Amino acid sequence: MEANAIYALSAALVLSVVGLGGALAQGKTAAAALEGIARNPGAQSKIQTPMIIGLALIESLVIYALVIAFTLAGKIA
Amino acid sequence: MKVILALAASLFSLPAFAAGGFTWLSGIAHSLHIHEHTVTYIFVCSLLLIAGFVYRAKTASVESALVPDKGLSFRNVFESFGEFLFDLAKNIMGEKDAKRYFTLIVTIFMVIFCNNVIGIIPGFLPPTDNFNTTLAMGLFVFIYYNYEGIKAQGFVGHIKHFLGPVIGLAPLMLIIELISHSVRPISLGLRLKGNMEGDHLVLSIFSDLVPYIIPVPFFALGIFVSFIQAFVFTLLTMIYIGSAVEHHDHGDH
Repeated sequence: MEANAIYALSAALVLSVVGLGGALAQGKTAAAALEGIARNPGAQSKIQTPMIIGLALIESLVIYALVIAFTLAGKIA
Repeated sequence: MKVILALAASLFSLPAFAAGGFTWLSGIAHSLHIHEHTVTYIFVCSLLLIAGFVYRAKTASVESALVPDKGLSFRNVFESFGEFLFDLAKNIMGEKDAKRYFTLIVTIFMVIFCNNVIGIIPGFLPPTDNFNTTLAMGLFVFIYYNYEGIKAQGFVGHIKHFLGPVIGLAPLMLIIELISHSVRPISLGLRLKGNMEGDHLVLSIFSDLVPYIIPVPFFALGIFVSFIQAFVFTLLTMIYIGSAVEHHDHGDH
């Protein structure tokens, strides 16, 4: 395989794998937080902040992969 | 004088210098030989400064400072931002620390939020989609929370944070903690930059595909992402400062 094809394939692979993992993790976080809020609506404001921190930390891993994908896509001549 | 001349000249030559697409400020950036994200950053921060001075002028006398305005006024928008951030800081750092670091927190939030949201206006590039801007912010936060931690607990007390609770695991914990602390500025910067860049890219791709109506939800999404990213950056700053300056009362709990 020529180098360009490898760059393009790996950029797509990076994003697809990490998108799957990130979506699963964020879905689990949101589901747990919503369950907590549904059981105890009064705790909404206390649940929301740690949930957003968790979501942001999960998302940052995906964003790192996005940056890597950008660099890989930039290498395609 | 040279700067004024260059600025005046740039007003008549706006689109001529725009290389990769038109932006409002590219003429100024080109004629002053500085990067465009710097020009946009200066522009946004001067707008914020003017807004701050207007707010100060409106609340100058005692009576006008105490009596709130009616309805949705400039001042109420400003104050609702402040109240929202203060409540958040109170939840995370406690009332005393929240008051102490409030100016820093509000500055970081307002600067990042306004710099993010300027990218929504067509013809502006958000300065926060450049890694130089965001890494500078991340490094500032990193230096500041370490400085405050050393000031609050002394150098030895601050280093003790890195050793973990159990003395036997201290050599392992030291390595892990050192790595996790030193990637904080990079992860802060990369998260903000990646989100803003990705968001701007999605917006530009959809505006290229269909110029009418279809991009509207993505503009809304852009405003939402701008807010969330400024919020997350501020939140993490508060957590870092809070964990650096908090006093460990062993045996209390």
